[in-house]
Amino acid sequence: MNVTINQEGNKFNVILEGRLDTTNADQFQKDIEPLMNGDKPEISLDCTAMEYTSSQGLRMFLMLQKSVNSRGGSMVMVGMNPQVKEVFDITGFSNIIKII
Amino acid sequence: MKVIIDPIAYKSAEIIETLMSSEDMPQDPALEFKLRLCVEEVVENIVRYAYKDGQGFVEVGTEIRDGALYMTFRDAGVKFNPLEKDDPDITLSAEERQIGGLGIFLCKQMMDDLQYEYKDGCNHLTMIKKLS
Repeated sequence: MNVTINQEGNKFNVILEGRLDTTNADQFQKDIEPLMNGDKPEISLDCTAMEYTSSQGLRMFLMLQKSVNSRGGSMVMVGMNPQVKEVFDITGFSNIIKII
Repeated sequence: MKVIIDPIAYKSAEIIETLMSSEDMPQDPALEFKLRLCVEEVVENIVRYAYKDGQGFVEVGTEIRDGALYMTFRDAGVKFNPLEKDDPDITLSAEERQIGGLGIFLCKQMMDDLQYEYKDGCNHLTMIKKLS
């Protein structure tokens, strides 16, 4: 999983590429640390090139959403492929994370 | 196909690939996505929790029977029936949701059937997916 973070003030445009699974979830958690600090972050996750996520990945997105909520920010996931979207739908994550 | 991996410590990726490269696996990419996801969830549970420090074996198998794919997992670790776990409440808000408990729930939703039995000192878990 490749994570590219472009920051302008409190706005974060994040590009996610590849597969998020048990082998790289720990690394992903480190990669998204810059998103875990600061007031009222506005985070956009570009998921166009995210091929796959396991429940390990879902945990990371839930953790990030909780952190964003607690800081009065917002987060949106954009361009998710249908199969990844189905994983978010089945687990109810589509209701707690904004997906467009 | 039936393969034994012993010991299983740090072997998650190898066990997953062993199953996914079985000739019984369908070639349909959409189905492959779901099967891989479910295999990963089960394998990860076994590697993490079945044995102390992963010092034990797992036998994984695949078989096509009556138009369905059977994926089997056998280990002699701590007795654990994942099907007894309560499903997460997927209507809760982000704040209320627990981090975890999603893996086996995904398997239940994506497979046609999951079966568990404890026999001869081993956990036997079977995931069944109908092939159309």
